[in-house]
Amino acid sequence: MLALLGALIAPLTAGSAALSEQDADALIGRLAKPAPATISFTEVRFSKLLRAPLIVSGDLGYSGPESLDRRVTTPYREQTSIRGESVKVEREGEKPRSFALKHAPELRGLLSGFSAMLAGDPVALRKTFDVEMTGNDDGWTLKLTPTDTKARRRLQQIEVNGRHSEPRCFSMTTADGASSVLLLGAASAEPVAPDVTLIALQRRCGGSGQGS
Amino acid sequence: MKLTRPALLLLFLWLVLLAGLTWFVQRQLQVGTDLRLFLPSPTTPEQRLLLEEIGEGPASRVMVISLEGAEPEQLADASRTLVENLQSSPNFRLVTNGDISLDSVPDELLAYRYLLSPTLDERPLDQKYLHSELQERARDLASPAGAFLEPWLPRDPTLELLKVLQRWQPMQEPNRLFDVWFDQEGKRALLLAQTRAAAFDPDQQRLAVEQLNAEAERLKGDDVTLTFSGAGKFSVMMEERTRDEATALGTAATVGMIILLLIAYRRIGSVILSALPLASAGLAGLAAVSALFGTVHGITLAFGFTLIGVAQDYPIHLLSHRHATRSPVEAARELWPTLATGVASTCIAYVTFLFSGVIGLAQLACFTVAGLAVAGLTTRFALPVLMDPEGRDFGESAWLGKVWQRMERLPRPRWAGVAAIALSIAAMVFAPQPMWESDLSKLTPVPKELLIQDQELRSELGTPDVRYLLVITAADTEYALQKLEELDEPLQKMVADGAISGYDHAARYVPTAEKQRQRQARLPEPATLRDDVDAAVEDTPFRPDVFEPFLADVEKARHLRLLTVDQLRDSPLGVSVEMLLTQHGDGNDKTAARTTALVTFSGVQDVSALERFAKAAGSGVTLLDTKNASETLVTNQRIKILWSLAVAAVLLAGVVTFALRRASRVYRVLAPMALTTLLIIGILQAAGVSMTLFHLIALILAAGLGLDYALFFEHAADDPMEQRRTLHALLVCSASTLMVFALLAMSSLPVLRALGLTVSIGVVSNFVLALLLTRPTPPPHGT
Repeated sequence: MLALLGALIAPLTAGSAALSEQDADALIGRLAKPAPATISFTEVRFSKLLRAPLIVSGDLGYSGPESLDRRVTTPYREQTSIRGESVKVEREGEKPRSFALKHAPELRGLLSGFSAMLAGDPVALRKTFDVEMTGNDDGWTLKLTPTDTKARRRLQQIEVNGRHSEPRCFSMTTADGASSVLLLGAASAEPVAPDVTLIALQRRCGGSGQGS
Repeated sequence: MKLTRPALLLLFLWLVLLAGLTWFVQRQLQVGTDLRLFLPSPTTPEQRLLLEEIGEGPASRVMVISLEGAEPEQLADASRTLVENLQSSPNFRLVTNGDISLDSVPDELLAYRYLLSPTLDERPLDQKYLHSELQERARDLASPAGAFLEPWLPRDPTLELLKVLQRWQPMQEPNRLFDVWFDQEGKRALLLAQTRAAAFDPDQQRLAVEQLNAEAERLKGDDVTLTFSGAGKFSVMMEERTRDEATALGTAATVGMIILLLIAYRRIGSVILSALPLASAGLAGLAAVSALFGTVHGITLAFGFTLIGVAQDYPIHLLSHRHATRSPVEAARELWPTLATGVASTCIAYVTFLFSGVIGLAQLACFTVAGLAVAGLTTRFALPVLMDPEGRDFGESAWLGKVWQRMERLPRPRWAGVAAIALSIAAMVFAPQPMWESDLSKLTPVPKELLIQDQELRSELGTPDVRYLLVITAADTEYALQKLEELDEPLQKMVADGAISGYDHAARYVPTAEKQRQRQARLPEPATLRDDVDAAVEDTPFRPDVFEPFLADVEKARHLRLLTVDQLRDSPLGVSVEMLLTQHGDGNDKTAARTTALVTFSGVQDVSALERFAKAAGSGVTLLDTKNASETLVTNQRIKILWSLAVAAVLLAGVVTFALRRASRVYRVLAPMALTTLLIIGILQAAGVSMTLFHLIALILAAGLGLDYALFFEHAADDPMEQRRTLHALLVCSASTLMVFALLAMSSLPVLRALGLTVSIGVVSNFVLALLLTRPTPPPHGT
């Protein structure tokens, strides 16, 4: 049902023609931003364990290929720092929790996708992902599928939607069907309804939708 | 050389006897390498613990492995493969690389999380607690940790397993890259492997070492360099090196000896015959030790053969005293009082070692006494019968006569003796280094660079301070764990105060049965828990029906048999727990059964705080300063040996007095030996050497040689022919001994070097002094 709806909506919101590799690379090149870069985000996380999605917002600070900070400001404060192979999550009034990036392939996917895009480096991006690009300059979609089969067992796909040189949404789908959508920059400014559905969000991003 | 029928018969019987002894020895002899045989029996609990730890404690079985040379990720993969390979081998009990993740906990331990985690001590598993936990979990789920926590949440919404795993982490955790242990720089992956065999089981250890070498060879293909270190490797390595070097030096010495004897006597038959007493001595010594002790320490053998090397002198005396008008049997009879005095006094001196309380020394004494006695007796009663009565009479040698006369005329200034004594004492008093070496590690002379490497790897792994240990002795494991739980709070306070940076003990891994039972009793009934979960979920984003696995696990935990140390043994925690908790005595002997628990410390800053803590901890708790304990042990050993030596000296003087009867003769015989002992100590001290057990043994050997030289010089009457023969014998004896020990002094191994150097000095000094002091000053007009 979801997939069907997505498939119906997608052609309306974005051009369906796949871009050539050259065009895709040119577009990725335009996404480059000098580090350190900060961008506001709203993350909506869906899970089968949950009745309603979890919504948090804050900002992402990128200061190099191995260093990403995720600061949550609403509805509570939380700080995640990725340094090399280790991830540390700190929340107010709690003991910080550290774990290896290896345990969170989603995060590693996000980090490498993010790094490659902010570096405007299509070669690096293609090293870890199969890249497929559709749409045009006014509305494009990058589909990133991990090349490593082991990684694909956890992280199925990352979809990035954007306009011109500005990425608007990061949608990650894990192998067990859970997914989370990051609205970036201007896209994060609009409020998100507490009972928002994945489809509504994808629409807002202008993406083609899951499973199209 | 023609032999008479009775002589042939005797030779045949002798050889048969030797063959029989060889057979017996081969069947009986077991060579041990446990160095503790050379340490005195422990008198305090700390010393006992120390010896247990050194010899077969789990710590002594641990090898540290490092992998380097490739990219960290590749090293981490190699580390994981290595764990798999070694884990399935019979040589290793447990191999860990730090990779403890949620999935690494064995399934049968999972349900124990509610009994292992302290959560239930503070609060019940009720609606209020579940509600606050679920709210936390919702936040976790929205965080980057969410993805890997998500699959666990239905089973473990309070993340109890994570709490347990965090508790199990070392307080000072080694650096981790890609989830496995690395050094600080991230260049070497580190692993710990525990061998099945104790460190002093060289045959089994060799298998483990060989397997690691094979792994190193395999990894070389991937450009990964594997290095490993540990007591087991050292013992295998040192054994090999000692054996190689002893074989090389022994061969050189034997060849040298044969050449020397051929030059001296010019008859192959004589040389072969002269080897018979020594061979008999060796076999008799071996047979005696293996009959009395069963296991013979490798060091006993090495030293034993060195000590009975003196026996080679006995046939030399006989050969040099050959006489045209006297049959060898008569010559032997004439020499016997002197020879017997030497043999008897040396043997009696060695007997005192039997009572030194050091098993290795007792073995050595047994070996030497049996060996020397047999050598003496065969030289007196068997060898002369076989000897060719014809041969060169050294009494006719003109140049020996000249040498003797010149020696007689040598000045004998008393002041020189006084000065030598004064200088030696001055060296002992003023030498900057300690007179005695108290460092136990000097007994196992592992090359320094290897020890440094070992130490460095261990400190990278955050293995605990080797010097201070808290030892808790309890009747059984439960009492020990109880005491540890009591001590945990003051220990935490010490960490907070900065006296130590961390500690570890078994109760961190396994709670007492008492505590587990309490926690189990606090787990809610299924119906209550179900209601509480439903109520708690209500105003959280979670769906109400996802926590069924949680309900099932709690119900399972309510009926679990309590976790014991034995159950943990084969889990990744086995190494830690076993190092920290040792059960002694087997099930049959309940009275001897006891449990020793250790608290290890890391980053010790304030020793006095540790001492205060130990004092306040009550009975059964002692702070073990291993350095102190081992030094006390070595000091005890030395005191015992020195007492044995003192008694030996008195006995020896007694035997000599009994044999020689006149005070002036006794003085002349004993003076060179006493002065030489003093001189050797003086020279060693002046050269900056601290003395060890090995030097003491060498001193005794030198003293025995000195006694023999002096006895024979003294024995040589005024007959110039007899004087020449004696001189010839003593020259051959001292030259051969000097050659053997000078060779040993060239060894790269500190033990052999100590022995060689000490005895070499002793031979020269004894010879010169015996020559000068045992002959009365000749009348000024000469002979």
